[in-house]
Amino acid sequence: MTRLPQLVCPAGSLPALKAAVDNGADTVYVGFKNATNARNFAGLNFTDAQLAEGIRYAQSKKREVLIAINTYAQAGRVQEWHASIDRAASLGADAVILADLGLLAYAHKTHPDLKLHLSVQGSATNFEAINLAHEAFGIRRAVLPRVLTLPQVEYVINNTPVEIETFGFGSLCVMAEGRCILSSYATGQSPNTHGVCSPAAFVRWDNQGKTMNARLNGILIDRFEDGEPAGYPTLCKGRFAVLGETYYALEEPVSLNVLAILPELIRIGVAAIKVEGRQRSPAYVAEVTRTLRAALDAAGNADFQVKPQWSTALDKVSEGHQQTLGAYSRPWK
Amino acid sequence: MKLPAPLAFIARRLPEAPPAFALATALNFVRSRLWPEEDFSWLKGKTVRLAILDLERGATLSFDGARFHAGSAAADVTFGASLEDYLVLMHRQEDPDTLFFQRRLMIEGDTEVGLALKNLLDATDFAPLFDLLPTPLANSLRAH
Repeated sequence: MTRLPQLVCPAGSLPALKAAVDNGADTVYVGFKNATNARNFAGLNFTDAQLAEGIRYAQSKKREVLIAINTYAQAGRVQEWHASIDRAASLGADAVILADLGLLAYAHKTHPDLKLHLSVQGSATNFEAINLAHEAFGIRRAVLPRVLTLPQVEYVINNTPVEIETFGFGSLCVMAEGRCILSSYATGQSPNTHGVCSPAAFVRWDNQGKTMNARLNGILIDRFEDGEPAGYPTLCKGRFAVLGETYYALEEPVSLNVLAILPELIRIGVAAIKVEGRQRSPAYVAEVTRTLRAALDAAGNADFQVKPQWSTALDKVSEGHQQTLGAYSRPWK
Repeated sequence: MKLPAPLAFIARRLPEAPPAFALATALNFVRSRLWPEEDFSWLKGKTVRLAILDLERGATLSFDGARFHAGSAAADVTFGASLEDYLVLMHRQEDPDTLFFQRRLMIEGDTEVGLALKNLLDATDFAPLFDLLPTPLANSLRAH
């Protein structure tokens, strides 16, 4: 039987990390409580003590912990990013997930034994970029942005010695990963610079009767009628008036779900499948990890079929109540 | 869980201060055990309201930097959900984002304080609390 991809699950807290491990994650990815990672939300993420306990917990069960330090070091504050890499190395992380070339160089030089993964925020979508990072910094794995079709992913895999990780489930964002500064347009802060898209301090939900308005820094970006499913307050998922018509001008809130193409992802040699959602709660992590674990274990079999209960479980926790194969399945080029 | 109609009828007419006072007292009691590393500086001077929408009742709490109090001021941030959905969240059966997407949980006011509170509860290990409770009760809670 072909080797199954690792299941890589998110954790924004110690209970979420334990939920991921207990429900079958091979690997858990986490971040520090600062702007060095792309989920820098109020109250989220790990103190050093919590992370030390989490790493102990996971490694005692032969699972891995990856630390995401995947924002771009800001001018005059590079030391914060270097310090985070040093902390990750001394805590015994199995790898760090980096995007910034300067940080990759620092980590490679300062901690030659620390495994390096190229983050989705690095926005490397072709094998030349990935191979360059491999030659220059010895990266072991690259996380592909959610912009490539299945044949394109296969083409990358066939032309690089670097392990390829792809997204398998979670909220989808506009297809410009690692290069998106839409959030900055309204708030002055975006993932690459501040580790956060639509920072909570700029978000207001105001309810008028049963109608809920979403405002980002005062700008009305969406309005949900009674009973209409809501989504995250990001500009890419807002509804805007364009030439007299109000609609999702960029994209609808949807979740990526690759259950249907798991056998294909295994066949083309994807090394790891990632679940989005470090901002979500332990209940989400447990549910999604359990479901993906069951599906992955079954996906190696010739008679694989997506079980209705898996779809139901993932439907329930999805943003926007719609699921898509995203860019993986795209008839046009 | 839905309250039976007669109980709900009574609950809608009860004053809010006693349960809010009990909640504040309980929080002051368990704070150092559940959150030994947390200084709550982000909550100082803030008032939070938990509205139970189906009962048209709720609890308002404020934090003065040292202790929680039953609050009466206008809330900086208000959460709203049914009693049943609060229990679902307490038992970690659903995550708050899921309920928010489904319009079963609402948040109004200072989103950042609300998010910090949600993330604090997510990160909380409730085991030290169980050690304070009588064994049978602790076991039945652990079962969730």
